[in-house]
Amino acid sequence: VTIILRLLAPRVLGPALMVGLALVVKGYTDVGDGFAAGVIVALAVGLRYVVLGTERTEATLPLVRWAPQIALCGLLVSLAVCFAGVAFGDPPFTHVPGPGETVATIGTLELSTPVLFDLGVFLLVAGALTTVLHHLALLREGRT
Amino acid sequence: MGTGARRVGALPAAAVAAALAGFAACLVGAIVGGAAIDVPWAPTLDLRLDLALDGLGSLYALLATGIGAAVFAYAAAYVPRHLEHEERPASEQRRFWPWMVLFMASMVGLACARDLVLLFVFFDLTAVASYFLIGFDRHRRAARGAALMALLVTGVSAVAMLIGAVLLQAEYGTFSVPELAERAEATTNTIVAAALIAVAALAKSAQVPLHFWLPRAMAAPTPVSAYLHSAAMVAAGVLVIGRVHPLIAESDIVLDGLLVVGGTSILVGGLLALAQDELKQILAHSTISQYGYVVLLYGIGGPEAAGAAAFYVLAHAIAKSALFMTAGAVTLATDESRLSRLGGLGRDMPLLAAASGVAAATLAALPLTVGFFKDELLFTAAAGDGTGTAVMAVLAAALTFAYIGRFWLGLFTGTRRTEPHRVPALLIAPVGALAALAVAGGLVAAPFARLAEDAGTVTNGAPVALSPAYHLEASTENLMALAAWALGGLLLAAPALRAPLVSALSRAGDVAGPRRLYGAALQGLNRLSDRLHGAEVRDLRTSLAAAMLPGGVLLGIALVATPTQGTYVVGAVQTSDLPVIALLVLTVLAGVAVTRDPGRLRPVLSLSVLGFALAGVYALAGAPDIALVAVVVETMLTLVFVGIFAGLPRRADDRADDRAGGVGRPSPRRRRRNVLFGTVAGLGAFVTVWAALSRPTPDAPVAAELVRRTPEAHGGDVVTVILADFRALDTMVEISVLAVALLGVVSLLRRGRLW
Repeated sequence: VTIILRLLAPRVLGPALMVGLALVVKGYTDVGDGFAAGVIVALAVGLRYVVLGTERTEATLPLVRWAPQIALCGLLVSLAVCFAGVAFGDPPFTHVPGPGETVATIGTLELSTPVLFDLGVFLLVAGALTTVLHHLALLREGRT
Repeated sequence: MGTGARRVGALPAAAVAAALAGFAACLVGAIVGGAAIDVPWAPTLDLRLDLALDGLGSLYALLATGIGAAVFAYAAAYVPRHLEHEERPASEQRRFWPWMVLFMASMVGLACARDLVLLFVFFDLTAVASYFLIGFDRHRRAARGAALMALLVTGVSAVAMLIGAVLLQAEYGTFSVPELAERAEATTNTIVAAALIAVAALAKSAQVPLHFWLPRAMAAPTPVSAYLHSAAMVAAGVLVIGRVHPLIAESDIVLDGLLVVGGTSILVGGLLALAQDELKQILAHSTISQYGYVVLLYGIGGPEAAGAAAFYVLAHAIAKSALFMTAGAVTLATDESRLSRLGGLGRDMPLLAAASGVAAATLAALPLTVGFFKDELLFTAAAGDGTGTAVMAVLAAALTFAYIGRFWLGLFTGTRRTEPHRVPALLIAPVGALAALAVAGGLVAAPFARLAEDAGTVTNGAPVALSPAYHLEASTENLMALAAWALGGLLLAAPALRAPLVSALSRAGDVAGPRRLYGAALQGLNRLSDRLHGAEVRDLRTSLAAAMLPGGVLLGIALVATPTQGTYVVGAVQTSDLPVIALLVLTVLAGVAVTRDPGRLRPVLSLSVLGFALAGVYALAGAPDIALVAVVVETMLTLVFVGIFAGLPRRADDRADDRAGGVGRPSPRRRRRNVLFGTVAGLGAFVTVWAALSRPTPDAPVAAELVRRTPEAHGGDVVTVILADFRALDTMVEISVLAVALLGVVSLLRRGRLW
């Protein structure tokens, strides 16, 4: 672990989160999607694990503790988008607003169910990968 | 009883209650004339949730729930004693009851399913449930082997049923059995499909030559055997034949095939049953023989045979489940399971003797039991088919009379060889209830006949009328019955007469039987898989080679010959291709480096160079989304690899390898081979990627259509829109896999603790 990494690792998470979020927000109109965003965030967390070790990472990032719940949350959001249509008698993944209707936007963020689905994918990927990283880190430190 | 026992105490009661509730529901349904639901859950694939409580459905659903209730009640007393005897905790009942209830539910579903795909799904569900139930004593090797055998024999042959279903759908455009029955004509395709479905059903009903799994399945606890033989698993096969019989009846060849298979099964099962010493083995071989009767009847075809087959299944289920429970109760009372060590139990267990006597009489078709009518109907149908079939039927009935007589007389009469201890009433009461039902059916056969008529109507596709009754006259049926009893009595009274034949048959089965073939096939597969596995996991490089070598070879084949598309043409290299070529050369170099380096870290780094170079190619080829994902995934993988390797014991295994003179420093020959393999895989990937990226025109109109529709879906990025909208269901399934994989990692590393 070089000095550069040691300096970089704690500071890279913020930008990574920003990039991830941007990918989700812009994703529907530009390159990128929830999956890539999730992996990027998990990468930043993973870098911290490698450089700082498990204990310090999790002390400085209390949100990491909730990674499994975040993953579950993401899965539920995706499933909800999938089956919401079924409740109204439509096929699964009937997205709102439909083709031809106008979409409300906040900046470049489109308020539509596909984007919500993408957000679910993001949460699931980021949460699941972080959980796996945690377990691998514990395994490495022999604290199973 | 410990706390574990108290906590699982509610399970048996709940299961019995579920069975009784199901029975009541089916009974009401049958009385009001049936019920049906038909939900097209995947209309584009023509998949329907088409369940109907019609005649056939009612019969088998009533059997599954009714016999189920009796067997569950019996099991409530049996399983705790069984566990105690095996010195296992009472909490292991949790491994029993859910599967038992699933077994029942899937059987009810199978009975009501009228869609071939649905039929297949329930068919396999019964196989899955039976796997866990037969292997309930999982510490015993025999039980595990028997469970696997039952699953493989019935599961693999069930694939034939799926193929048959697809063949039929391709020809007639529907999976629905009633619609198929209307549209079907005797084309080759239909006949092949019907034969395939019949094969799956025959394997399930343990008919020769796929009968060998059933005797082995006796490793299951007795309640499972009782259920499996009478109303579930084995009955599922003849149920399917009864359901698709209109399709089978299109062809005389398939019908004759059923006749032959049924007849052979009667003889093989019946004769082998005479030779067995183990109680449950006698009954298991008897089941093979008894379902042979039913298959024979379906092979005869026509209204009489269809009704008789349904009636036969009903009567047999009542008798056979009672007999199995008798065997289980006797074994629990005496700790003996062999006929030669038992006898004279009639004085100590008079109730059980009487009840199982009625059950045995039912199987042997004595008057005043419902069994008499099953043989009467059988004889009517067989005599109508011809002399050969009639002789077969008499022979079959004689064999049944002989082996079941031997079973009951051997258990309850003669000298007492083993002292029994008391058994709880709950082990005897279900036998008594079933015996009472058998006698009731022997006195008033009308309700049973009506059930069988309705079931036969579905099978036959036209109304069936059954009128079982006692006729005190010299009718053909009565004469046949008398002949069968006389012959059976002779077989029973003169062991010397049957011994040479029976022992020759069982020797022949041991030497050249299908079970040997199964064993050889299984061992061969195992060895092949072991060898592949051994080659793959030797070290990191062989693991990589296991993926890269077949990939390279397959791609090479695709380059040389792709019958569906035109051949590959090497076009002119343009300036704009140069960066792509440079990156691809880099991937090849990285591929070669992977195979040359004996270390741990450098192959991984070479692999990630390969990945990054490919990502660069994607970026150049105008696929930024894929490039982005490739880069982040590659980074993640490298990080994880580095993290794991850093935690491995440093060079310990390498030193060990050095001592062994093996893997660490490969021999020059292996080295050359590795380089060759790596080059093949790398070049293959190079050429394929290049060919794919320099394809002159996009030949997928779907892609163009998706691009066109993207703005309509309010998106700017085609790939994201495809992932989140056009193909969102795929994405949903894929991320679910990710969640499941997470659970897998968690349970492997931390025994299920999420954090």
